[in-house]
Order: sequence, then C-alpha cells, then structure tokens
Amino acid sequence: MRVIIVGLLATLACCGAELAQAADLQSSLRNEVRLVDRRLPDMPLRLGDGRVVQLSSLWRDTPLLVTFFYQRCTGTCIPSLRLIRDAVQQVGGLGRDYRVLALSFDDVDTVADMRLQADAMELASDPNWFFAVAAGKNVAQITSELDFGYWRDPSTGQYVHESLLVAVDQGRVIRALLGYPIPLSRFRELAWELRGSFVPYYEVPGERLLRCFEFNPRTGGFRPDWGLLLLLAQGVTAIAVALTVFNRPAR
Amino acid sequence: MRKANTHTLYWIGITLVLFPILVVLGIYMRTVQFGQLPATQSWFYPMMTLHGLGMVGVCYAASMACAVDALRRYIEPSGAISWLALAGTVAGVVLLLVSVFLGKFAAGWYFLYPLPMRGNWPAWSTVMFLSAITVLGATWLIWSVDMLRAIARRYSLSEALGWHYLAGRTEPEVPPLVLITTVSLIACVACLVAGVIALALSFADVLGGVRSDALLMKNLTFFFGHVLVNLSMYLGLAVTYEVLPEYAGRPWKANKIVALSWNTVLVVFLAAYFHHLYMDFVQPVVVQYIGQVASYISSIPAAVVTLFGALMLVYRSKMRWNLASILLFVGLAGWAIGGGGAGIDSTILVNMKFHNTLWVPAHFHTYMLMGLMLLVTGYFYHCCQAATELPEKPSFHNLVILLLMVGGYGMLFMFYLSGAASIPRRFAVYPAELAHGAGYAGLGALFAALFLVGLIVFFVEIGKRWIRAFRVAV
Repeated sequence: MRVIIVGLLATLACCGAELAQAADLQSSLRNEVRLVDRRLPDMPLRLGDGRVVQLSSLWRDTPLLVTFFYQRCTGTCIPSLRLIRDAVQQVGGLGRDYRVLALSFDDVDTVADMRLQADAMELASDPNWFFAVAAGKNVAQITSELDFGYWRDPSTGQYVHESLLVAVDQGRVIRALLGYPIPLSRFRELAWELRGSFVPYYEVPGERLLRCFEFNPRTGGFRPDWGLLLLLAQGVTAIAVALTVFNRPAR
Repeated sequence: MRKANTHTLYWIGITLVLFPILVVLGIYMRTVQFGQLPATQSWFYPMMTLHGLGMVGVCYAASMACAVDALRRYIEPSGAISWLALAGTVAGVVLLLVSVFLGKFAAGWYFLYPLPMRGNWPAWSTVMFLSAITVLGATWLIWSVDMLRAIARRYSLSEALGWHYLAGRTEPEVPPLVLITTVSLIACVACLVAGVIALALSFADVLGGVRSDALLMKNLTFFFGHVLVNLSMYLGLAVTYEVLPEYAGRPWKANKIVALSWNTVLVVFLAAYFHHLYMDFVQPVVVQYIGQVASYISSIPAAVVTLFGALMLVYRSKMRWNLASILLFVGLAGWAIGGGGAGIDSTILVNMKFHNTLWVPAHFHTYMLMGLMLLVTGYFYHCCQAATELPEKPSFHNLVILLLMVGGYGMLFMFYLSGAASIPRRFAVYPAELAHGAGYAGLGALFAALFLVGLIVFFVEIGKRWIRAFRVAV
C-alpha cells in the first residue's frame, strides 16, 4: 500500500513538474512569436580578430544566428554558447546555411575578451563564428528591438538576463528561440527554416493531444500522428453501424 | 384523400414557424451590411450564428422528416424514436436560443476551434451552445440509426444500396428513395460521429482546459458540417424521386446507373469536405488535390443522373403542375445551379480568389434555399394537399412561385455579384475600401423581403391545408 502511495505521489510530482515546464515553454513560445518579422538595426561591430565590420555584412550572403552573452557571466551565457556550438556541429550547415554571431551586451567587454572567448571555445579559427562587441547605444538599440532584457545586480556585479537566439535573414527575424537550454529538436527545426524549407508544424508543449501530423526535425518530413485516426474513426464507425444494423435477415 | 402522419404534421408546423424567422434574421444581416440599424450592430454575429445553425438544423430536420414520411410506404420507423427526434430537436433549439439571446454567443455555426473559447461572450454561453449541438447531434444520430434499422427490416444492405443492379439483376425492385436515403443515413452516422468527437474535444477545452490541435478540429468540424448539409440535400432529392412521378404519371425507377451514381456519392463525398481547407497551408498538399477530385466525382455523376432523369420524366409527360410539383421541379433547378457555383468554388485555382468572399454564401444559399427548401416545402405542400384535397388556385400558385423566384434569385444574384467583386463574407459593416458591398447588401435585403412575402403567401396556402389535416390526424 505504502509503495503504491509513494508511487502515486512520485507520478503526480513528475506530472506537475512536466506541466510547469510545459507552461514555461508555452510562455516562451508566445514571446518568441512576437519577435518574428522584426528588423534589426545595422551597426558597426568590433570582432574578436580585430576587424570592424557592419552587422549587415554578416547576413548579406547567408542568414545569421545572433545570441547575446557577456564574458564574465557565471550563469547561463557560456553553457548556452557551448550548447549552440554543439548543436551546430550536430545539425551541420554552418557557413553554407547560416553563420553565428555572439554579441556582448556588457560594456566592460573588450575585443581581447572576445578573442579569449573564441579561443576558449576553440572557435577562433572558424570563419563562420563571430564574437563581437559594439558601442553601448547600439547594443541598447538591438537588445531593445529584440525585447532582450538585462539588469545588473549591484551586489554581485552579474547581469540578470534571459537566453535568446534569433535567426536573422537579410536583417529580418525569421525565428527566435528563448530560454536555456534549447532542445536540439527545436534547433533542428530552426536549421530547416534557415535552409529555406517550410516547417508546417511546431511542437507546442502541453498541446500535443491528438494532432494530425508531426514534423520530423531530423528528416524534414512529416508523419501522421494519432489524431489522424480520429478522422478515420467516423468512417469506420459508420461502416460498423451499417453492418451491425443490417446484419439480420431481410423480411 | 390520404391521411397525413401526425409526426410529419408536427415537423411541418415547426418548419413553418422557424423558417420565416430565420429568413428575417438573414434580411436583418443584409440590412446591417447596408449600413442601416446601426444601434443593433452588436447583434450581427449572434444573429449570424443563429441564422446559420438554425437554417442548417431546419434543413436537416425537415428533409429527414420528408424522407421518413415518404419511406413509411415501405418501412415502419419507430414511433417512440420519432417522438424523441421531435422532442430532442425542440430542446436543442431552446438551448441554442438561450446561448445566442442571453449569452450573445457569436462564433458562427461552424463553432470553429478555438473561437468558441476565445470570444467576448461568457463561458456558460459556449457550454450552452455546445450542449445544444450535443442534444441535436445525439438525437439525430439515434433517429438516423433507427431509420437504418427500419430499412434493414425489409432490405439487406446490398439491396438497400442497389448492388444487385450493379450486378445486372433487376429484382428485388428497390425505390430510389430507399437507395438514396440509405446512402445519406450511413454518411449521416459518419458525420454525427465526427461532430461528437469535435464536441468532446471542445468540452475538454472549455471545461478542463485541455487544448486540441486546431487542424484536427477544423477537419472534424468541416467533415461534420459539410456532410450534414449535403446529406440534407440528398434526402430532399430522395423524396423528389418518390413524389415527382406521381405528378408526371410515369415511374422513376432505380437502375444500374442510378445505383452506380449514388454508391459513388457514398464512397467519394466523405472526402470532398477537404475543399473547405484549401487555405490551410499546413494541410498536406496531396489532401488538397483529393478534395478537388472528390468534389467533382461526388457531385457530377449524381447531379447528371438525377437531372437527366427528372427532365426525361417531365419531357412530353402529362405533367400535373401544381404548387408541389412546381416547387419540386424548381428546387431541382436550384440544386443544379447552386451545385454549379459550388463546383466552381471547389476548384483550387478559383478558390484562391473566391475563398471567404460572398461567392460562398451565394452558392450555398442557392442549393439550400432555392434547392433544398423548395423541395422540402414542395413535399410538405404535397402531403397537406393529399390529406385535404382542397381546391387549388393555379393563378395564386403562379404568384407564389413568381415571388419566390424573383425574390430568391434576386437576392442570390446580389451575393454572386458581391463575391465576384471580392466582397468578403462575415463583415458586419463594410469599410471604405469595400463600400460597394453595402449597395449589393441593400438590394439583397430588398429581394429577400420579396422572397419572404412569397413565403408568407405560400404559408397562407399551405397553412389552411395543414390545419385541416392536423384536425383530421389528431
């Protein structure tokens, strides 16, 4: 009996945690959708290798993934960058389908810090990864455009902030991923969009009950989901009813 | 003189009350679109919801009542279920009226998910609306299954579907009424099951907060709505096959071609509803093509066979033209004309331009109002006249037909012109860019009022017969 109660409580706890996570993700999704179609301002960037380039030059030939971080962050910045790096390696297409910009939002960060960060992540020699700083007013402008909020806690000197990755095509946001960690499946969906493929179905956490079709981010195809059976159920029921009702000798 | 069935007389009475009220709601909507009655604009969408669901319900129940009445020559439906059908339909209508008039529920008769749960009306009115459809759907499902049961007592499934004609045999002789009704009722069970599933998922959302997939819900809802509307039409045609020969003095029998065309309808028309989802870009493309092909295959064979059969029946016959036979004949014409409009709109290339314009209400009003409702009223008049044998006044009948035709087709012509001019449907008030829509709406309202006058004159004519038939029957 005790085992059953403990088991039930554990199951309830797991369900509760899953529902809370689903609610968080739904809230993130709503915020992500708001960012789509926004235009990013052009601005000069100072890259880790010392070059000064215009932001627009980075998205001129291929879409650009933009994320924000600061070098002294003891929170999610560096793990988030590593996660993006690993996801890029797994999904592929870097350079051909997109490039990546990690832009510091901390005015204390310097070009040397950017170089150090690129070295630390073994990305310094990768021509499709950019670590950059920009003038404070430009950073304020771009973060404001993307509703990316950050606030310095005076007691720790650390910033309180979200994690954001936006996909930009010719200066226009085509998709945004909010939160940390980003599930690999969501990154795969993003990659399909960056390749110009249409992704018709997105998984909405907590709303998966009986869908018609499911997008497979690994293959880029779609597969029937359980909900499709409901569309067949009515025909099958009608046939079953007809056969049952007529299953008697006619007079 | 043929004694009228009591249930049928009740259905005639209900139809005679509800139908003109719903016509008035239609005139009200066109008047608001014309820019008049500004103080009542907030009622436009609740009235649109009531007009839509009310008309679909009246069409289905009335056509079913006609089919049941005509089928009594061959089968014996359950008396208890007939009463249940009446009581359930009245209960459903009452719930609907409460939802719309007290709760101002205004999601349209499609109740397309998730709009019923997101509107600015109270949640209880959504529950009331969903309950209304649940009561109506459950009642009609029981009614349909009982009719199938009654048919099954006399015919096997293969006989009722006319498969022996396909095999080259002519015995036993199965009336087209039985064949078409069986096809319609099997489809009816499918569509009502779809409605039940859509309602269950809607209740899960409104009561339990369980979200559903919008694409799945739209497929379920349109399967339910499309099939229900079409099978109502088929039931109207079924009684025409039965009654029109009485006036032509010639038989209109089932044969291989009739059986083939209606079996094709049963197989294919369940997939035709996909044409309602052409704009749903997440629906796989192959399904869109299935929708177009199924729309053609399900409508053209049955239409050609029926219309050709009707014309051959009338051609050089000693046709007795009275109000019933004229209404049945022009009802067939309305079905054909509206079906043509629907066929045009079910073509993907055209639908890209016409989708959600007033072309859509144009074609469905053509086959529902000038098609099905004329068939139904024609049959009702036939019943009442057969039960009373009162003297008929041809000149009076010609006036009725003239008013109905001029009013009805005038109103429809305004819809078609509006659709061709890209006026969107479901706009209560037209913005400056669509100001030309208001003119069409005003003229449409005038023609509809003319139709209503014709309807009232007709009701005077049928009303006298109904009262007398009712006295005899009860």
